[in-house]
Amino acid sequence: MPGNRDVTASNEELRAGIDVFGATHPGKARIENDDQFFIATLHKSMRVQQTSLDDLSAFTRLQGASAYLLVVADGASGMLGARQASTTAVETIAQHIGEMIGCYYNFDVDMEQEFLNQLQNAVERAHDKVRGLDPFAAQGSATTLTMMALLWPRAYVVHVGDSRAYYLRGGRLRQLTQDQTAYEQLLDDGTMSEQQAEECSGLTHRLKNVLTSAIGGQIKPSIGLVDLQAEDVLLLCTDGLTQHVPDSDVARILGASASAEESCRRLVDLALERGALDNVAVIVGRCAAP
Amino acid sequence: MIQKKICMVGVFGTGKTSLVQQFVYSKFSEKYHSTVGVKIDRKMVDVAGTRVNLLLWDLAGQDEFEKTRSSYLRGSSGIFFVVDGTRRETLTGLADLLTLVQQTLGPVPAVIAINKIDIEDQWTIGDADVYGLIGEGRYIVKTSARTGVGVNEAFFWLADRTLRD
Repeated sequence: MPGNRDVTASNEELRAGIDVFGATHPGKARIENDDQFFIATLHKSMRVQQTSLDDLSAFTRLQGASAYLLVVADGASGMLGARQASTTAVETIAQHIGEMIGCYYNFDVDMEQEFLNQLQNAVERAHDKVRGLDPFAAQGSATTLTMMALLWPRAYVVHVGDSRAYYLRGGRLRQLTQDQTAYEQLLDDGTMSEQQAEECSGLTHRLKNVLTSAIGGQIKPSIGLVDLQAEDVLLLCTDGLTQHVPDSDVARILGASASAEESCRRLVDLALERGALDNVAVIVGRCAAP
Repeated sequence: MIQKKICMVGVFGTGKTSLVQQFVYSKFSEKYHSTVGVKIDRKMVDVAGTRVNLLLWDLAGQDEFEKTRSSYLRGSSGIFFVVDGTRRETLTGLADLLTLVQQTLGPVPAVIAINKIDIEDQWTIGDADVYGLIGEGRYIVKTSARTGVGVNEAFFWLADRTLRD
């Protein structure tokens, strides 16, 4: 199971750092894995070559991680090039953020809107790239994308599709994103009631798999943010997790695990135990205690 | 391009998200979604010949778990307070929020929307209750996110005032 762990962040504003880990698995019903995840730390770096100064502590804090970028993407199943779509989207996002993040190492109210615009630009660039993969295909490539850019204490979330972002605080799990599916749209506009949805479980299942917004398809990115606190736990995941693991189990596992890696492994294992009909990708980030 | 940040503030369940949805997308959802953190929408408007990009920060409603955070308010040019006309306690909760905004931003133009005018027969807030809210730089308006009554009027008043200030 591939993963990445970063417990080295020592930037003053990131307190003692964030323990981050990601994992993905093809699941039990599919051979290909169209899910992708990406975890990056963005660094403002000054390396002192030579000096007559005695105290270099003021400069060491400039060497830690300054921002985090977390991304999950789920290539839309049933379409040609699903893996290529999620791969292209994540690569493009990472490249765009990598190019522009140099201006935004610290949370800054005055620069915030520009930063948000850049996040949206990154998503639109990914959308254009994915659409360009096979412009002649009748049914083009598409992918969900949920990304979080973390400039402590603020976590910015840009979301397209039905992957999800959550945070756990004080044992309470909150979902930061709303699924952009036909199911949610019909409930929202009152075409279908929740009672009707329960009575037609087969239809509901199909509607939950129809995306109303996707990178490469019709795109309606939603943007949000939350200010984090010490001991908050973050989760980004694809629907391969949430179709098998309800919020109550997610909260229990995130709250009881000793590390991000343990959380990831337990979440993926539970999805596998319950059948794992789809690919699964998860990222867990644990903010350090004060 | 001129950009103005507007924060939607109020107790949970008053209709902040629905007002934004009505203003930006001209739609109303019967399903209640509790906002988590902040959701950001934008709308370009024309105010007296000036194009303004309104950045609408829809803040999670204050409840027993979460207080409204002053950090979200910083950089705002105007505030859109929302009260639910059918729930008197949302008016009581407004006092703390007015203080928080004053302490964080100083005097900024503010709309105070008494929402859900479409079910006015169920209101527990009367005109006399609202008189105490009248003040310089405040606009008090009755709105309905469901029907759209008062919605454009309120947002355009605020956009106009942010340009003047």
